[in-house]
Amino acid sequence: MTSWVDVICITVVFLSLIILSNYRVAAMIRIFAIQSFVLGLLPFFLHAFCISNRDVILGVVTMVLKAVLVPSILFWAIRHVSMRSEVKPIIGLSASIILGAMIIAGAFWVSLSLKLPGKPASDLILPCSLSTVLLGFMIMVTRTRAVTQVLGYLIMENGIFLFAVSLFDVMPVLIEMGILLDIFVAVFIMAIVVNHINEEFEKNPASVTFSKMGETF
Amino acid sequence: MLIFSHWIIVFLLAPLFVGVIAKVKAFFAGKKGPSLFQPFFDLQRLFQKDSVYSRTTTWVFRAVPIICLAAVLLLALLVPLGPFKAPLQFTGDIFLAASILGLARFFMIIAALDTGYSFEGMGASREAFFSCLCEMILFMNFITLSLAQHSISLSSMIGGNLPLSWKLWGTVLILVVGSFFILILAENARIPIDDPDTHLELTMIHEVKILDHSGVDLGFLLYASAIKLFVFAGILIPIILPIEPVNKVMDMLIFLGGMLAVSIAVGIVESTTARLRLNRVNHLLLIAFALGFFGFVVKMWKG
Repeated sequence: MTSWVDVICITVVFLSLIILSNYRVAAMIRIFAIQSFVLGLLPFFLHAFCISNRDVILGVVTMVLKAVLVPSILFWAIRHVSMRSEVKPIIGLSASIILGAMIIAGAFWVSLSLKLPGKPASDLILPCSLSTVLLGFMIMVTRTRAVTQVLGYLIMENGIFLFAVSLFDVMPVLIEMGILLDIFVAVFIMAIVVNHINEEFEKNPASVTFSKMGETF
Repeated sequence: MLIFSHWIIVFLLAPLFVGVIAKVKAFFAGKKGPSLFQPFFDLQRLFQKDSVYSRTTTWVFRAVPIICLAAVLLLALLVPLGPFKAPLQFTGDIFLAASILGLARFFMIIAALDTGYSFEGMGASREAFFSCLCEMILFMNFITLSLAQHSISLSSMIGGNLPLSWKLWGTVLILVVGSFFILILAENARIPIDDPDTHLELTMIHEVKILDHSGVDLGFLLYASAIKLFVFAGILIPIILPIEPVNKVMDMLIFLGGMLAVSIAVGIVESTTARLRLNRVNHLLLIAFALGFFGFVVKMWKG
């Protein structure tokens, strides 16, 4: 069963790398949904052959919330704001990919000196969650659209989820549920805010160019 | 003797491999498609024709088809094909493999420039750029595999007990296989990177460089690219499928099944994906490199 956990870990990191190298917001959201779905499979593989109710609840809630609800809200947001579909990276995509590979190596190097209190299900969980968090952080920093920054934040949260699952047995399920609810509310608020920015700009269209909508700077 | 059996396999099966890919693509398009042996008929037709040379070309242009064919035949000798061990193996032959590929590519580029045709020059420049990235991917994968197998000889790196260590190195090998598959598509000018069927000069990479070749020369180049694809698949298969030199017939069947699977996979990728825009190709190649690098990092992490 450990090998399946390993496969899920590297898939999650790989998908964050794909999101980093993508130039379409819609494709980014779709890949994020796949990543969340893969993460939602993780609790089923944690305890070999004895799946408890907690595992099922956490997995199903994660899948429904992050692979279905959050992406659909994001899709609603980009459709409603009708902003251009290409991301505007501060650094080029090629440079982002190379930087992402270096970040992964760095995360693995840093995790050499990190010791966990318990024994996680797989030794890849810690470095992979750290890489995902850092890649999400990088997406947040280097993309200028509001929606892509929220995506970066969500990928960071996916990384934290991966890490939390390794400590799943000692952590109350309530905390994880609370975090999931927070994420949901945060994305909801973001969608409303982006929508309001749009409406505000629509009132006086002469003062702002169309392409600036939904950008934070 | 071993050399000739290797070459016979390569000469017989490589065009068939291309034929299977064409068949899969025809199936996805809802067509019946040409016969599996169509590449053989095409080559036969080309070999019966004479070559036409432009007045601006020199001897380099005429020598290139032969050099390319010779290079891939030499490359084929380094790779184990099913039950037949690689006739040529020594420590460090991965560098020979990479430099043979580089040699063939260099002469292709030189020949393209030799014609003095602006589109061929564009193709040459694209090929030089993308192959530079391809070589990075190739070496990244070779480094990971050689670390896993403690050897820098190609045939002991990919053969032996590597497929049996999927339990141990599964995650590493998934990354290597994924990265190598993109490399196969890129090196052999298959669809997400380059379309082998298109003759639109503005977008093609590999095909544009053989525009001026004709007759026997073109036949040599087509044969060479078919063999190159076959040999690359031959490197990929021993990583995935266990081929133990116990039962020759069984080995051959496993090898042929693997070849069939790879050609079907390539055909599916070709018929389900669109060709990438030219300035996105390097992103795909860099992703393949990042995959290979990630595999290397995981290998180092696992010790």
